[in-house]
Amino acid sequence: MKIDKVMDQVTHMVLALFIVVWGFIAVIIVWGSWRFTRQHGFLSPILSSRWNPLTGHFGLASFILGSLTVTVLAVVIVSPWSLGLSVLGARILQGSWQRYFVRFLTVFVSLPSVLYGWWGLTVIVPGIRRLTGSSGYGVLSASLVVALMILPTFSILSLKAIRQVPESYVEGSVGLGASEDQTLWHIILPTARPRLAQAALIAIARALGETIAVQMVIGGQFGRPGLLHPAATLTTQLLTDLPLLPPGTAGHFVLDYMAFLLMLLMTVIVGLEMRMGE
Amino acid sequence: MSQGDLSPKTLKPVSQGRLAHHVLAVIGMGAILALLSVVIPLAIEGLPRLSMEFLFKSPQELGRGGIGPEIFNTLVMVGLSQGISLPLAIMVAIYRVEYAHAPHLAQWFDRALHVVLSLPTVVIGLIVVDYAVIRWHWPVSVETGILAFSLINWPYALSLAIEAFQHIPDEWREASRALGASRWQTITRLILPVIWPDIIELTGLATARLMGETAALIYTAGINVSGRFAFSAPGETVAVHLWYIRTEGLMPNADQEAAATGLVLLLLVIAVLWVSQKFAEWVKNANL
Repeated sequence: MKIDKVMDQVTHMVLALFIVVWGFIAVIIVWGSWRFTRQHGFLSPILSSRWNPLTGHFGLASFILGSLTVTVLAVVIVSPWSLGLSVLGARILQGSWQRYFVRFLTVFVSLPSVLYGWWGLTVIVPGIRRLTGSSGYGVLSASLVVALMILPTFSILSLKAIRQVPESYVEGSVGLGASEDQTLWHIILPTARPRLAQAALIAIARALGETIAVQMVIGGQFGRPGLLHPAATLTTQLLTDLPLLPPGTAGHFVLDYMAFLLMLLMTVIVGLEMRMGE
Repeated sequence: MSQGDLSPKTLKPVSQGRLAHHVLAVIGMGAILALLSVVIPLAIEGLPRLSMEFLFKSPQELGRGGIGPEIFNTLVMVGLSQGISLPLAIMVAIYRVEYAHAPHLAQWFDRALHVVLSLPTVVIGLIVVDYAVIRWHWPVSVETGILAFSLINWPYALSLAIEAFQHIPDEWREASRALGASRWQTITRLILPVIWPDIIELTGLATARLMGETAALIYTAGINVSGRFAFSAPGETVAVHLWYIRTEGLMPNADQEAAATGLVLLLLVIAVLWVSQKFAEWVKNANL
């Protein structure tokens, strides 16, 4: 078949284009970070927290710490809510309600992150300001916004994980006299554990990569540690410094290095995710 | 004892030992309320500002304008970049699932695709600014925005398309090949007609995601609009406009402007999801 050969080649070509484009992007990032690390070393920028591009100090420690704190806090905050939503959707609601429930969550998965940022600015920041007397901008607000943002994704994936548990396990457990609660804690959740962990890792990746919603509420300044003080993360600082350090200026390659660190973190998360899937 | 009493349902404890379920249900309801607390204030605050004037007029720095050009830019940029990246994504997906000449490399491809997918979009913005804007001297404009959009959408649409193609069981392919159909005939006559509805629905998801994209666009498509549409003119989208007036803009009534803009964005996203779902259902039923 002639068309078969042709289409084989055409799809092959498009795949090659895909690999070339993304390989090019990866090479740009790695090359830029290599230029940066040759000058400043690989580890010392990660360990130092002194950030002043004008004097040549590129300490990224506070941004890395900001990224990790926001991500960890958001996942810790969101876990019980996500468990509640997924058990509600998979074990409590019946029939077509389950379908409406998933559809409802899907809308929120597709909700633009800038809307969650808007919510953070109009609801969370003034709320925190009133409660604590601080400015309201800071790591805590950012974690709350990110938590709500990853909630729909996390719950849909956990819901699917719970649904994958074979019904015969549940029937066996109930048949042996276990109550519904015992079945949930001792049969359903342990069986779904690898997939739940995968869901958590996807949520973590999303939280770590979130830029705009965090940028709107985290305040952008840094120096003083603490949950209520303004801070910055790798992604928000990348966004802020993009116009300040254009190519050609001395500090430009630090942006590539930040992108490289993000890529590295994502690779680790994806590696864990794949291992869970096995 | 009647026979119905012995069915498994009556043997299940119905009210005892369900305390944790009740607690989790309450927590879940709370989570639903929290999610609604994003949408409802948006509607309450934005709705009074919504008018024909707001939807079609150009924005003004001191408010009282509209977001007409932003809506138009969003639609053009999302539509064109979807038109570029979706066929490319489907091609790669066909290769990955249907041809796959090097199966042992497929696992590495999937892993790399996952990393690319989780890469923050601001990194794409950085690359596009570095190369397109600075090196190739593209203006900060609609066309640069389309480039950024296409780069963001390509891997995402690819992963969705791969998933759609993998829904088809291998037995179907084997049966089709055994009856003498070539690979390409199998794809066009058997697989694509079955997964069109899925692809349409997934395209809706990808489109909704692009509409809300902000971080990669701020420095590639810009934060203002020109009076007349042009591919080389700045092309602020609705999402970027919302970000701009809520963080850097100087409008006196920024709160209301932002809420109305956010409401328009929300309605656009919901409309895209709804239309793609209905269209997918229609295609599915038309096939039968």
